[in-house]
Amino acid sequence: MTRPGFVLEVDERTPPLLVHEGEGFRLQKFPLGTQVIYPPDSLPAIRDVTGAIRHALLHPLDSEPLPDLLKPGMRLTIAFDDISLPLPPMQTPDIRGRIIEQVLELAARRGVDDVKLLVANSLHRRMTAAEIKRAVGERVFRSFWPGDLTNHDAEDPGGMASIGQTDRGEDVEINRRAAQSDLLVYVNINLVAMDGGHKSVPVGLGSYKSLRHHHTVHTMLNSRSFMDPSHSALHESCVRMGHVLADAGVRIFTIESTLNNETFPKPFGFMNKREWEWSLADQATYLGARRANDKAPPRIRREVFQRIASPYGVTGIHAGATDAVHERTLANVHRQQLVEVDGQADVLVVGLPYICPYNVNSIMNPILVQCLGLGYFFNLYRNKPVVRPGGAMILFHPVPWEFHQVHHPSYVDFFDEVLSETNDPAQIESKFEQQYAADPWYIHLYRNSYAYHGVHPFYMWYWGAHAMDYLGDVIFVGADRRAVRRMGFRTAANFADALEMAGETVGRSPRITYLHAPPLAMAEVR
Amino acid sequence: MGRSMLDEVRKVAAGWRWTRRPLVPRSAEPWLPDPAAREFPTAWARTPTAKAVREGILRFAFRPLVWSETEPTVEGRDVLDSLRPPVIFVANHASHVDTPLFLCSLPPAWRRKTAVAAAADYFFDVWWRAAATALAFNTFPIERTGRKRATVTARRLIGEGWNLLVFPEGTRSKDGWLGRWRHGAARLALEYRLPVVPAVIRGTYAAMPRGRSWPIKGRLPVTVRFGTALTPEDGEDFRSLSRRMQQALARLWDEDASSWYASLRRETDARTPSLAGPDGAQWRRRWEASRPLSRRGPARVWR
Repeated sequence: MTRPGFVLEVDERTPPLLVHEGEGFRLQKFPLGTQVIYPPDSLPAIRDVTGAIRHALLHPLDSEPLPDLLKPGMRLTIAFDDISLPLPPMQTPDIRGRIIEQVLELAARRGVDDVKLLVANSLHRRMTAAEIKRAVGERVFRSFWPGDLTNHDAEDPGGMASIGQTDRGEDVEINRRAAQSDLLVYVNINLVAMDGGHKSVPVGLGSYKSLRHHHTVHTMLNSRSFMDPSHSALHESCVRMGHVLADAGVRIFTIESTLNNETFPKPFGFMNKREWEWSLADQATYLGARRANDKAPPRIRREVFQRIASPYGVTGIHAGATDAVHERTLANVHRQQLVEVDGQADVLVVGLPYICPYNVNSIMNPILVQCLGLGYFFNLYRNKPVVRPGGAMILFHPVPWEFHQVHHPSYVDFFDEVLSETNDPAQIESKFEQQYAADPWYIHLYRNSYAYHGVHPFYMWYWGAHAMDYLGDVIFVGADRRAVRRMGFRTAANFADALEMAGETVGRSPRITYLHAPPLAMAEVR
Repeated sequence: MGRSMLDEVRKVAAGWRWTRRPLVPRSAEPWLPDPAAREFPTAWARTPTAKAVREGILRFAFRPLVWSETEPTVEGRDVLDSLRPPVIFVANHASHVDTPLFLCSLPPAWRRKTAVAAAADYFFDVWWRAAATALAFNTFPIERTGRKRATVTARRLIGEGWNLLVFPEGTRSKDGWLGRWRHGAARLALEYRLPVVPAVIRGTYAAMPRGRSWPIKGRLPVTVRFGTALTPEDGEDFRSLSRRMQQALARLWDEDASSWYASLRRETDARTPSLAGPDGAQWRRRWEASRPLSRRGPARVWR
């Protein structure tokens, strides 16, 4: 049986603990009494993935078997999650490709000719041909690229279809081809509890017109947390939209997959382990990797990190009706990530890794660092946050003032123009969002280059709105002071200084909790 | 190699003891990896080469060492004449000297075919200790948790015809007297219908108790006394066999302390002294147990 996650209490026997800090990592000594949340050990992977996929397609939940839904002359669209999942990208063969191959195999046997594949990239950047090929596999790529295998284009005037409105007046608009298909098969990878379910189609194949209803400061402030769909205003909105799609006759066959916690491959395998269980080889590897990383030029360092491909194992594949499938999927995600934590801390410490959903093969700019820390990591909880209201959060990351000019053009302007004026998410939303969302240049870059949509940095800022509203202090360790100050946070040279600074907010003897991730852990706070 | 690298090495070193058992934070102790998953391989220690090396180590290193630092007496080896491997040896356990003393007390043919059950969490937690004990004593890991798979390796060895030496207390005695008895040996004997040879080891608590890494000066007397083999009876359960083992050890202890016939008489009258030791304060139990055995034979002329 796999070991569950647990909360370590640092004592005099505890070695320095591994902390991620962007494209680097360190061993950090924590004060005695610090609580450290460790994720459960990696769950055993399904051995016969092909068999599991076949079983899921032939015995779906609350749905007829997939072959029965496939008929000659029908319009079939297969949409799949984009490059933002999983993180880091998984070693090939990618589970999306394996699933899609079997769906296509069935479609071919049933005589379906009109098949289109869509990358459900929403307002994210388009995936390159190489990235798509890696995700779907050579066989699928060669058969469908480029004509029948495309990125979703949320700004294509003729490519979007308005489906209707929810009872709250939220517009539902999705990709026209998907909406007008006889069957829409959605293939997802559910890395965290936020992913999947009704969020897949209305968001992944949606447009700004749709997303503006739930990607807001208001939904973020009313999601406790957005990693817990049952208490997330964001997900409630997506569910409403999902029902509108169903009522309009959009037939969706959902296929969701879950992964285990095998996040880091050799030689970074020591990052998956608990420090006191490191072998001599792990210790030597750490020293070697740390030394090489420190000495490497930044470009080489980034190249090495971005080439990491996770040896993830598949822990579950479920197919059928969205609600029934997603229930099973969430149970699998929780089985892999949930850790019970007693009580809230005064200070939450996190080490931010080099990657987030929006900088695969790219640069993690300061806004994305903020999003990863105050958005994703802060929200990795159920019930209540790991840190108390008014508490402090300490984040390890260098936060370089650096942007990918192709991928994140609107981020550059957002950082320069918007954040220099205000950091308040609500004010930013009301004053600047429309302007960026409708900017023709950003739309042009989104559609024709590889740029994130003009409104994307706003969403990233809103992602941290709950944490900004909730926390008393946010301190980055070892970060670029100018970049951090621009975002309205504080910087400390080292962890001791950060604790000293946090003491001004939370007192001199704070209760500290360190979220030891990745591999990912989600706190169930009692 | 700059100073920063040196600092890093120090940091790494701060959390580990490279030559001893690794440190585990207290709150992490209940969450250690499953021992079965990290069982140290010992099959190599039973290859012909390893057997030859072990025989050399025992005969030319441990035997001279133990026989020069203590004064051993071995009695009752003749019980083995009527037996054929595999058998299970069970003995009381009070000192690290017990294993080499016992193995060196066995006839060479029996010794070469005997494997020793050793606590997985103590002897097999670091590679160098595991490798050293496996080579020198032919140890194999056994879990003290009592779970089903605790005896997986033991079963395999029995199947290959190896005798097993088991200390059913599972650990060295804290006060010199018999501790909590575990039933693994009895279960194995019943399952495979193996004879159980009881052997009592006396004097080693006084000679080298827990906490010492070298015997006390003065060549204190120690004894290994083998008893008649116990054969599992039809319909017998493991508790009953365990009880018979303990009674056999108690009688052997009594025999060693008095005489064979007197011990038989006391056994018949159910007056065999208990191996649990005297009642009373802890210090008194230790006091009694650490009393050196009286020397046998005529008083030594030359000291």
